[in-house]
Amino acid sequence: MAMESPNDRGGNARPLLSVVDDDESVRESLPDLLKEFGFAARAFSSAQEFLSSGCLTETSCLILDISMPGMSGPELYQELRRRGQDIPIIFITGQRDETIRTRVLKQGTAGFLLKPFSDAALLTAINMALQAT
Amino acid sequence: MNDLLSLIALPAFWSGNEPSQIILIVLDALLGMLNLDFVYARLESPGEAASVELLRMSESWRLKLPAPEICSVLRIWFQDEAEKPFSPVRKRLWDEDISVIPVPLGINGGMGTIVAASERASFPEQTESLLLSVAANQATVGLHEARLLTAQKQLAMDLDRRVAERTVEVATTNQELRREIVERALVEARLRHEEQEVKQKEEALAKARSELAKMVQITSLGVLTASIAHEINQPLSGIVTNASTCLRMLSADPPNIDGARETVRRTIRDGNRAADVITRLRALYSKKEPSPEFMDLNEAAREVTALSMSELQRSTVVLREELEDDLPSVFGDRVQLQQVIFNLLRNAADAMRTVEDRPRELTLRTRRDGENRVQLSVKDAGVGITPQAAEKIFDAFYTTKSDGMGIGLSVSRSIIEAHQGRLWATANDGPGCTFWFAIPCNPQALADGEPGLKQADSSADAA
Repeated sequence: MAMESPNDRGGNARPLLSVVDDDESVRESLPDLLKEFGFAARAFSSAQEFLSSGCLTETSCLILDISMPGMSGPELYQELRRRGQDIPIIFITGQRDETIRTRVLKQGTAGFLLKPFSDAALLTAINMALQAT
Repeated sequence: MNDLLSLIALPAFWSGNEPSQIILIVLDALLGMLNLDFVYARLESPGEAASVELLRMSESWRLKLPAPEICSVLRIWFQDEAEKPFSPVRKRLWDEDISVIPVPLGINGGMGTIVAASERASFPEQTESLLLSVAANQATVGLHEARLLTAQKQLAMDLDRRVAERTVEVATTNQELRREIVERALVEARLRHEEQEVKQKEEALAKARSELAKMVQITSLGVLTASIAHEINQPLSGIVTNASTCLRMLSADPPNIDGARETVRRTIRDGNRAADVITRLRALYSKKEPSPEFMDLNEAAREVTALSMSELQRSTVVLREELEDDLPSVFGDRVQLQQVIFNLLRNAADAMRTVEDRPRELTLRTRRDGENRVQLSVKDAGVGITPQAAEKIFDAFYTTKSDGMGIGLSVSRSIIEAHQGRLWATANDGPGCTFWFAIPCNPQALADGEPGLKQADSSADAA
């Protein structure tokens, strides 16, 4: 399935998607799927790791787990807003707590997916996020 | 002669035994018999203050003087006269001269006196005196008999009265006794009923305890479900992602066989991970009734920590296990004891939730305690507890957590006590506190296969 990849901010042909999740299996499997989508992908095990990676400015879209030890997903989102980094974010989570979803969506994120999610749902969310910029 | 016979027959007339009546009959007889102008009698009754005066008068004398006056005059005469019985005296009364003779009744006139009076100067003649004395004798006898009969009657009445009283007393006592018997029977019945109630309550209590433990199972399950669901969702999510990737890789031109192979490998691994969690879950929650058995506390503890591991890691809790080798087996209910361990681990993790300046260290330790006991402790580096709270936290529904159930520690204590053990908490030397429980390896008095009710465990354990 070929797909049109819109130009990202950095002008690269293939947008960079960063995955931040403390779950190893997610870090293993998700980047491969994203590459099959035609994106460039990198994975980080914590929010801290991502912030100190230097990939901030290059990231076109952030795929972010909600509950992580240390800085949580929403906390990272706040931190990025504080730094003026307006990266579109897709939250992924295994928790089916409606209140979190409402709160997070209120803050204006691009997407919210419940694990396990289908590849189609993920792609749709990514496209919406990239088109928003 | 006739008169004499009449006098002797007099007793037939006095039927009522009333002294006055007897004397009046005698007086009437004398009045007629001797043609007296009046005849007077004074009766002394023992014990009674007033004496009785009786008077009978002839027709003519009835018109002359009223009876009371005659009585008072006679009284005066014979008061002073010191009673010369049977000595007639000639006196003047009203405007007549009369002969009066006092006749004593009873010994020395103790019962009274009859005074016969006549205007005739020759009164009394010899026969008349004789008749008077016979009459007096009859009167005396009659009075005696009357008194005797009265006394007898009185006695009989007294006796009757006393018998009646006694009968009433006995009847009352009987009634009281009967009432007491009834009351006793009621009390006994009530006691038996209460015994039954107590027994029922004890059974209900035992049942409630086991239901509570079951409820802890269920509610803990609710809390556990969140982390279990998480545990299962992780591998499931990986499976879906890897499979999606696999499809795309195989559909690529040319197909990415090596990549696909890798995704399949990961899928199998994640599938096994999920199955593992299910197996552990099933093992933990399959039992319905508490069923004690000889079990290894270390093994049970390891299962609980394995299940809690992801949640602990998510809270950045560092778990240290110090399980003593060759820990003796304990006789207990595996599921219930695991419930307790799970509660303690969860509480310890919660206590360290706000800790930032030091590692969130949680130490689970088991060791042998004396000959017949095994001890497990969970030590945290959290906010700790005050000595006052150290006991209160075991109260049902006491909680410092805003979302806590508070029921965990109270039920945990019940479970440990049902194992004839003890559950308590101490403050650490450093930050945080330690929760301990100690249970016997071989509890005594096991009834129906269930661990007996609690026994006070007197030994204190130092950290």
